[in-house]
Amino acid sequence: MIVVLSIFHNIPSLVGCRFVRLENPIIDASFRYFCASHGIVTVEDFLLHDVEVLAAFADRQTNSDRLKEGITVMLSLVERQCRPWLNGMELLEDLQRNKQNLSTGDRGTDSLLKGGFREGQVTELVGPSSSGKTQFCMQAAASVAEKHAGRVLYLDTGNSFSARRIAQFGSSSDTSLEQKVMSRISCHTVYDIYTMLETLQGLDVTLRSQVQTNVNEHRLRLLVVDSISSLITPILGGSGSQGRALMVAVGYMLKKLAHEHSIAILVTNHTVSAGGEGGKTKPALGETWKSIPHVRLMLSHDHKNSNSTISILKHTSMPSGQTMRITTRKDNR
Amino acid sequence: MEAWRLPLSSSIRGKLISAGYTSLSSISSVSSSDLARDANITEDEAFEILKLVNQSSGSSSCNGSGSLINGAKNAWDMLHEEESLPRITTSCSDLDNILGGGISCRDVTEIGGVPGIGKTQIGIQLSVNVQIPREFGGLGGKAIYIDTEGSFMVERALQIAEACVEDMEEYTGYMHKHFKANQVQMKPKDILDNIFYFRVCSYTEQIALVNHLDKFISENKDVKVVIVDSITFHFRQDFDDLVQRTRVLSEMALKFMKLAKKFSLAVVLLNQVTTKYTEGSFQLALALGDSWSHSCTNRVILYWNGDERYAYIDKSPSLPSASASYTVTSRGLRNSSSSSKRVKMM
Repeated sequence: MIVVLSIFHNIPSLVGCRFVRLENPIIDASFRYFCASHGIVTVEDFLLHDVEVLAAFADRQTNSDRLKEGITVMLSLVERQCRPWLNGMELLEDLQRNKQNLSTGDRGTDSLLKGGFREGQVTELVGPSSSGKTQFCMQAAASVAEKHAGRVLYLDTGNSFSARRIAQFGSSSDTSLEQKVMSRISCHTVYDIYTMLETLQGLDVTLRSQVQTNVNEHRLRLLVVDSISSLITPILGGSGSQGRALMVAVGYMLKKLAHEHSIAILVTNHTVSAGGEGGKTKPALGETWKSIPHVRLMLSHDHKNSNSTISILKHTSMPSGQTMRITTRKDNR
Repeated sequence: MEAWRLPLSSSIRGKLISAGYTSLSSISSVSSSDLARDANITEDEAFEILKLVNQSSGSSSCNGSGSLINGAKNAWDMLHEEESLPRITTSCSDLDNILGGGISCRDVTEIGGVPGIGKTQIGIQLSVNVQIPREFGGLGGKAIYIDTEGSFMVERALQIAEACVEDMEEYTGYMHKHFKANQVQMKPKDILDNIFYFRVCSYTEQIALVNHLDKFISENKDVKVVIVDSITFHFRQDFDDLVQRTRVLSEMALKFMKLAKKFSLAVVLLNQVTTKYTEGSFQLALALGDSWSHSCTNRVILYWNGDERYAYIDKSPSLPSASASYTVTSRGLRNSSSSSKRVKMM
């Protein structure tokens, strides 16, 4: 039997909570006073404290039975809030029902990825400068907004979002339809990593509250970050590992958003020279970043022939090394 | 979100944290009277704190149009904005055509080429052209010229400014038959007055200046173009630590992007070339490496083709790759094939 526990589902609503708001008859003033005397004021403190030591202290008090009952009630409250274990069948159902494949807008890439972007996964696109990463991102955004009727959020770090180009990727010439499709794409500019973290956290809160309220409006299906490497390069390296910690924090935030809200996330990265004399290149951001995206694609552009090739560096369900030639859509108006 | 980041006095913050309220979500879900009782503060202070918390986490309230993030703009609205975005002409109509009308505002454009191809000439021409008044199809703005190499020549700028004013007068003379005469108010000296010139002698000065630009431009809101000639000079020789150089440069690039977006101005960075060993041969590439080449929105490469100067669009989010030729004359940048001296203004 396969059992999976998702570590993302912590106890956000309860952790910072103070005992006084739990409204349980057993968690009364004397229990709270007892806990406060051991420095336990919130549920988080309770979880971090050694329960057996606490129980031993409780034994010495006069109302030890009530105190120990209080401890048991606390533990059961915590367990109830925690997300239950998922077995393999439930995971498969979740996959088939909630997490679909999104077309990338280019048939070659779709056939290479056996369908396209998978919702719930973080896909990284690596490529040297002017290889077509931004074009790929905009094409994907236009495709998701049009074919899957989903909302797209485009986080731009280099002022490269061009609404005109997105309009060129659309396949309909009907203005009202075009307006509907384009109004599903929102663009926001982010210029440093702290704003990025705040934005992602705000997005998490918004999406969670939206789940309860409306089902009719289109839901967010694709989040594009172009490019994540220009936010991380200023803080990476140097003395101290704070840069790497922030990079990993952003990576985990993205993965959490993707999984919890069934969004596909596309990030772009650039290349740096891989050392040696060959002039070879490797993806930027180093070894720690390598394990964060689920799928890594490499885009290379041959300026002489105007051919682009996309290849798989890493994929959760396919072998790496497969390549496909793609063409960027020119202006067809 | 952490409570210590709230702009409160340290004593109140200390009381909040010692009462157990370390995250914004724990504060936002409690009423002001409970907060006042737990943290031992007055009701008014508790109310202020709650107002602050709700402001900083304002994105959690969904409005009717359902914007997911505060400040995110819709692509349809941006389309109309983009079409009406002003552009700075380069005085060479072929070059303007491949650039989609000129250097676009709100973008960081990098222009690079071998020495002697005319980078500084383009820089000076742009700092004059940005001042063309609105009646003639220009922006009517001011320019900031950051000189790191000492290649800005005032006499040349005066020459180009005089040619620009002559062209404007010729243009009104031509249109005089159809419209009422609009006397050109600008004199070449006025044009020179509106160019803010900074001379930078080391990389620390350059970084300090970029940090100061935000405040400077807030005080001089007419600035519509920032030209840096050249961005590479101080970073090529002095730096031993290449990793630190990458960090500093990418930080500087982000600051330029932010400036361009915030004040709707064009940032033009002039770059030098170096040789790079790729695919078994030495090729010319722009200096500062691979990481820097990602830090601009558009890139234009200038090169020689026989005797002619050519410009090639290397990177652009919305323009196709194309090249065009131009010449540098005594009056500034002009079309190479056109023999007429009159410049197309509109």
